[in-house]
Amino acid sequence: MNGKIVPSVCSYCGTGCGVLFQVVNGKLVGTMPLKTHPVNEGKLCIKGWHLHEYVNSPTRLRSPLIKMNGRFRQATWDKALHFASDRLKAIIEKYGPDSVGVLVSAKITNEENYLAQKFARAAIGTNNVDHCARL
Amino acid sequence: MKDQIKQWLQQGKVDIFLGYKMVEGHPLPHFFVKDRLYEVDELVTGPIRYPLEKLAIRLAAEDPEVKIGLLVRDCNRRALNVLFLWHQLNPDNVMSIPVNCCPSNLADQANCSLLKPEKAGPYKEMVGIDNNISIEEAKGFDQEERLRRWTYEFDKCIKCYGCRDACPVCFCKECSLEHHALVKTGDLPVDIPIFHLVRAVHMAGRCIDCGLCEEACPMDIPLRLLYKMVNQIVLNVFKYNPGIDSVQSPFNMLGDEVTLEPKGLNAA
Amino acid sequence: MTNSISEIEEAGCIFVIGSNTTACHPLIARRIIRGKEKGAKLIVADPRNIHLARFADVAVRHRLGSDVALLNGMMRIIIHNDWHAKHYIMERTEEFEEFCRVVETYPPEKVENITGVHPRDLERMAELYATNPPGSLLYAMGITQHTTGVDNVKSCCNLAMLCGYVGIRGGGVNPLRGQNNVQGACDMGGLPNVLPGYQPVGDPEVNNRFSTAWGRKIPDRPGLTITDMVPAMLDGKLKALYVIGENPKLSDPDWNHFHHALKNLDLLIVQDLFLSETAQVAHVVFPAASAAEKDGTFTNSERRCMRINKAIEPLGDSLPDWEIICRFSKAIGYDMTYDSPEEIFREMAALTPKLYGGMTYGRLGIEGLMWPCPDNDHPGTQYLHKDGFARGKGKFHSIHYRPPAESPDDEFPYFLTTGRMFAHFHTGTMTRISPHLDVQQPKGYVDINPKDAEALGVKESDVLLISSRRGEMEVPARLTTSVEPGVVFMPIHFGESPTNILTNADAFDPLAKIPEFKVSSVKIKKL
Repeated sequence: MNGKIVPSVCSYCGTGCGVLFQVVNGKLVGTMPLKTHPVNEGKLCIKGWHLHEYVNSPTRLRSPLIKMNGRFRQATWDKALHFASDRLKAIIEKYGPDSVGVLVSAKITNEENYLAQKFARAAIGTNNVDHCARL
Repeated sequence: MKDQIKQWLQQGKVDIFLGYKMVEGHPLPHFFVKDRLYEVDELVTGPIRYPLEKLAIRLAAEDPEVKIGLLVRDCNRRALNVLFLWHQLNPDNVMSIPVNCCPSNLADQANCSLLKPEKAGPYKEMVGIDNNISIEEAKGFDQEERLRRWTYEFDKCIKCYGCRDACPVCFCKECSLEHHALVKTGDLPVDIPIFHLVRAVHMAGRCIDCGLCEEACPMDIPLRLLYKMVNQIVLNVFKYNPGIDSVQSPFNMLGDEVTLEPKGLNAA
Repeated sequence: MTNSISEIEEAGCIFVIGSNTTACHPLIARRIIRGKEKGAKLIVADPRNIHLARFADVAVRHRLGSDVALLNGMMRIIIHNDWHAKHYIMERTEEFEEFCRVVETYPPEKVENITGVHPRDLERMAELYATNPPGSLLYAMGITQHTTGVDNVKSCCNLAMLCGYVGIRGGGVNPLRGQNNVQGACDMGGLPNVLPGYQPVGDPEVNNRFSTAWGRKIPDRPGLTITDMVPAMLDGKLKALYVIGENPKLSDPDWNHFHHALKNLDLLIVQDLFLSETAQVAHVVFPAASAAEKDGTFTNSERRCMRINKAIEPLGDSLPDWEIICRFSKAIGYDMTYDSPEEIFREMAALTPKLYGGMTYGRLGIEGLMWPCPDNDHPGTQYLHKDGFARGKGKFHSIHYRPPAESPDDEFPYFLTTGRMFAHFHTGTMTRISPHLDVQQPKGYVDINPKDAEALGVKESDVLLISSRRGEMEVPARLTTSVEPGVVFMPIHFGESPTNILTNADAFDPLAKIPEFKVSSVKIKKL
């Protein structure tokens, strides 16, 4: 048996409450408020207290999916990346980089947002980058 | 203490020891294990509290045979006693190391040195209930004022369920506070006063007065006082003090034989 | 937020407008209540009778979309009573005279006609806010999701500047961010016109610096916003869309419209934790790891950049978003290789010197640091504009009230407004699968005032057909006085009751391109 307590930040609203994840045998089993955190001082809302539940949901995607004849099929990363990049490259070649849009996310990390817009601007070559803060 | 913990881990008397460790300036609960024995040197006993016994229940749920050691303050001790009585933890699998926290002559009233609610602000003092007042002071308000003040406090509730989720002795699989027939779900404010009274009733004969619920309450509702008042009734009627008396609670699990018999005033 | 979350407790007056804080930002609501209990005055202005209104010294329910008129009316009273911060205005602001002329045209009676707020209440709001310094102004999507969203925000800034509350401890203009990392997504350049750190793509020095760092020439013309992308998809100009961690199909206004736009794409790639409504119509879906399965940082509403830490391994074959983006980029021929998020953070901080330049993972620790944090000794910034505004002088904007794009008429006689409820989040992908949250509210509903319900012969839980000019949907009724007669409210979380079938995609703020989710008109029929 092994377990650990991992400090983190809640991924629901923009308040940014400090949480502690409880991990037992590699499974996320609970969430607690971080008592000495400057934002939430050891308190959470109903969503924060149950933060681990969405992580453990059986509805989580576990493998890449490619749609063929209107139905999704599981695929390896190699296949899915190949499929997507071939098509994307063809579109860029035919219609130019501004025919592509990238929607980044208010849910992913700073590092990932940085990479996503770098991907749009440097890898594709378009400023068509936005996110759902407006929505 | 650290040598004792190391010894237990090395000898396999415990598989996991629950204590605290400083992580980047913050005392966090920590699972000490044999594989990382050196970490025991970094063990701290405070200064803050987390429901370690609640973590212990989660470990035991994963592996009922696991041997758990933990730091216990007086409140943790009382919580463990209740959890043993309600078969949530097996006393044979739990080793504890006491941490001196409460001045001993106050232990019966469970006045923990860590529980020092801040002084109520002027508005709260005027319309609500100061988290520092005693049962007697709370009863000092006339009935109408008492209702008004408690209603103000309950009105603030944002229904985080933190009082339940932080509670070391809340372990039910199905919670009445999520039962549509008992409590209105789906909206704020909560169903007043049903929501808080349902929880208060469930704390009767259960609450060990650790105050973690109040510490977890985003709205500073004086929950500890509320449950203390309920348990004063339990003490008066049944002569039962949860966590201190190591006998079965007068309140039994559903399906168990019900023995709700008030003890006479002179009974032991 | 110009000021920090904990400072709300230090305010002399807290003014909450367009934020159902106890439900949507509960731990900020804690600070509001604590501030109130410590002696602050509390003003709540919201078209709905929200939970927080119970604790207010004055609470008003102004008509949907009438915020500018309400705020102008308050400001006129403040100026007339000489409560404004004259020295501050002289020293730190500009264009005050023109602003005064506009505000002067909003006498209380006119404001009452537009907003429905009684002059006595308006007077009280103005007095409480202006005479109890410092005043902390808080708002959320109730201010921004309008055709006049930018005007509303500017009016909030006008009010705070008028009283000298910007750049002081305990005061400020404090927008509450709806998602954990909206602030970060904007900071990182997740916008069509700016690179990380709000550095304009068109600025030659900036463009050059990034182009050099990334080894590719960055285009210097601003790109399309999400609101502009939809017509571009319908016109066939936008052929491919890569959607990371968002469910725009459910969160976008006018669901039917957006659905057609997505169907028109040659390639839709969706990267998400779940097979969301948007992922279901994708050509390829990349499974992403959750926040518990990776390292990184989030930046909260108060600009505090904080670390998240990997607690468990990614589920199944899922991967952290940063790894997927690196692999995808490599596959289309642009090499991005990083050992860890920390390495990405270092690159980002170096290119964003003014805001993040002084931050490192080591310095962030558990508490994080608040930007601007320009160098390694900088302690971070608790509140902004302390010694002056970023742009030099604070500008008063002269703003007139404009009505919302749609108002009730004979055919569609009810106002519809939308929002969140306390147990769910955004499009519900995360909360509806969480057993303890689902139990609170398993399905969609529409809030309707008992008076309206009686007139329509509607009882609790009766199914209603709600229709707008865009579409129609069936949803069970919930009778509540939290909405005024003539107004109905629907939460946005429920995919089978997609509120945005009804809302207005063509009505959005011309500058910010935020759709007017908060106001549309509908008719109601009992089924």
